[in-house]
Amino acid sequence: MDYRDTPEEAEFRATLREWLTATIPAGWDKIEDEEESVRLRKDWHRTLYRAGYVGMSWPVEYGGRGLSPVYDAILNEESGNLGAPPLPSVGYIGRAIFMYASEEQKRRFLPPLLSGEASWCQGFSEPEAGSDLASLRTAARLDGDHYVVNGQKMWTSGGQYADWCLLLARTDPDVPKHKGISAFLVSMTEPGVTVRPIVIASGEAETAEVFWDDVRIPVEQRLGAPGEGWRIAMTTVAYERGPADIGFIANYRRTLRKVEGLAAERGLLEKEEVRKALARAYVRGEVLRLNCMEQLSMRVSGRAPGPEGSVAKLLWADAEQSLQHLAMDILGADEMTGVAAGWLSSYFTSRPVSVYGGSAQIQKNIIARMLDMPR
Amino acid sequence: MLKDVAAQIAGSAGPSNPSDLNTLDRAAAWRSLAQAGLLALRTRDDDGRPVGSGVEVAVVAEGLGAGLVPVPYLGSAVLATELLALAGAHDEAEALSEGDTRTTVLLDRDLSALAVLPGDQTVYAWDADGAADALALTAGPDGHQVVRVSLDTGFAPAAGSDLTRTLLRSDGPIDGARLTPVGSPLSAEALLRWEALALTVISADIVGVMRAAVARAVAYTKERVQYGVLIGSFQAVQHLCAEAYVQAEASASATNYAAWAVDELDVAEALLAARTAKTQAALVAREVTETVMQVFGGIGQTYEHIAHVHTRRALTDRQVLGDEGVQLVRIADVRLTGE
Ligand SMILES: Cc1cc2nc3c(=O)[nH]c(=O)nc-3n(C[C@H](O)[C@H](O)[C@H](O)COP(=O)(O)OP(=O)(O)OC[C@H]3O[C@@H](n4cnc5c(N)ncnc54)[C@H](O)[C@@H]3O)c2cc1C
Repeated sequence: MDYRDTPEEAEFRATLREWLTATIPAGWDKIEDEEESVRLRKDWHRTLYRAGYVGMSWPVEYGGRGLSPVYDAILNEESGNLGAPPLPSVGYIGRAIFMYASEEQKRRFLPPLLSGEASWCQGFSEPEAGSDLASLRTAARLDGDHYVVNGQKMWTSGGQYADWCLLLARTDPDVPKHKGISAFLVSMTEPGVTVRPIVIASGEAETAEVFWDDVRIPVEQRLGAPGEGWRIAMTTVAYERGPADIGFIANYRRTLRKVEGLAAERGLLEKEEVRKALARAYVRGEVLRLNCMEQLSMRVSGRAPGPEGSVAKLLWADAEQSLQHLAMDILGADEMTGVAAGWLSSYFTSRPVSVYGGSAQIQKNIIARMLDMPR
Repeated sequence: MLKDVAAQIAGSAGPSNPSDLNTLDRAAAWRSLAQAGLLALRTRDDDGRPVGSGVEVAVVAEGLGAGLVPVPYLGSAVLATELLALAGAHDEAEALSEGDTRTTVLLDRDLSALAVLPGDQTVYAWDADGAADALALTAGPDGHQVVRVSLDTGFAPAAGSDLTRTLLRSDGPIDGARLTPVGSPLSAEALLRWEALALTVISADIVGVMRAAVARAVAYTKERVQYGVLIGSFQAVQHLCAEAYVQAEASASATNYAAWAVDELDVAEALLAARTAKTQAALVAREVTETVMQVFGGIGQTYEHIAHVHTRRALTDRQVLGDEGVQLVRIADVRLTGE
């Protein structure tokens, strides 16, 4: 693997850098109102898309540019270096559609997903089906040319802002639990869909519970074959665990710069332990970035993400949570007295990273299986 | 005995989720503490000895920490009362023990020490629920003088991380005319004695918070089913809980010794024991409460759930009168340079 940019990549990087410098909205990270910040992120998504920076590695016929995923990595890096707003995480739901949808579905759903016209959420988990996702109970019963969905989803992040949902529901209660699940592409505005935001410890309504009461979904909005839902879900989470797909590297770099800034403001840069801790945080971020690069490079050569996504997920949780610990240690009492309340909120936002997309313990189970350890 | 009383009060006055904090009858809890005589433990008897030992105070602090009880036991009944007693202001200490008035302590900007006025500009009244005033120090020729500052003017509520304790902030400077001296100047030794007790009870509060949090998590592992089994049967979950338990118990051992040392050992040794306890408790407070959130999975990440209330209280306690970093430097001073 060659880590240098090819001449084309270098040129792309330079153009991108110039564009970002001119386009990043000033003061965007000072916005505190949640709805406004959601709006800003949606706007940024559209701005990026119009400039051709969303879905660069997607086929042209579905709204992409047909480039190598390395371009996404460059976008991640440069966005982070220049402090751009978070990148849209279209990748993981998009992949599921891309890989399993009919031609007609792809043409219908992918372009608006990439362009940011339609935003998506992931309706997998339920109150009784978390780590053990396959035990989900939400039922989709076939009734003529529609499925009728009843049940409750939990933790549907962005559910309160989403237009569409990638929903898992049980279509066959009589087969073993992994086999009776199907996936659906459902509009969140359908009658019978009720969304209730869930506020996490940070104080932000990060996620939502969604109630499905006699929601009617046309058969042509089933994704893949009946019973193929489990496979689709596993593809989705495999991509979700790839930090490159969710714009993590950019976020991490931006946050690290902010933490370095905090240390400087407080005159702590002379302290060797602080310098080492900041350098350690940099190293953690680099290790993660390079691990992602390798995964991307495997993807370029045609391999789908496998269990190694769990490695990245664990590195990601560790990097993010350690960085928030470091910020807390630098801020000392200010984080507890409300002087730096935003950082306390970021700290609590970092905690579920080791829970969602499969908890840290589940990732370790997957790795143990990958290592073929006795069960 | 004391333990049972504390546990009983904690049981009825502790929140089981954050929204309880809006509805709990804090006044009733405070009255129960007063009636049980627990607010009087650091007042002095006729021989000038504390009514209750450091061990007893720590037992109560741990119990109230375990219940996440939102009353200013540490602020008013221990830290302020002890300071008054050491300054010989016995009537004022007695008055607090009846429970009708409350006083707390003023801490400096980073919560790491008692505020020294007029030097400190930004100050915090910590654990100030219902307190009319707070105690700080002024430096004088005969040592430190305890002064009382009314919280009526210049103080505003701060949005602190700890949802169970009231924090007020003043950006000062506080006018000298607002400072009322109480009692006689404190000797250096008295101040160190106070610090030993204060560090110990804060550690005891952290221990209570951690032990209760771990117990809640363990109980959850015996209820929550995934993959058709209780999650407590997964070795990964067992190890998480076991590690958190070990750290909490280690903190308890160090705190128990420090609590005994408060009244039994000379001040230097008592303070070293207190710093040892605070170091250990502060060092693991974050990790233990984070582990508890992790064991609860998604639900433990939500605002409605009790898990983060433990984390918030433990994180703030960690800062008060100095985190492990502060304590380690002091311990190194004593061990390596004999100062
Ligand atoms: C902020 C947030 C956002 C989320 N966003 C989404 C979303 O958009 N869409 C969606 O579908 N879901 C989402 N989730 C749900 C998330 O994927 C689940 O919370 C997660 O899978 C854990 O499930 P659980 O909460 O039921 O915990 P449980 O599965 O009950 O786990 C409890 C504890 O047991 C451990 N455990 C469970 N099973 C095992 C095992 N076999 N071996 C070892 N340890 C085990 C876990 O690691 C955890 O520590 C989100 C969650 C959060 C908190």
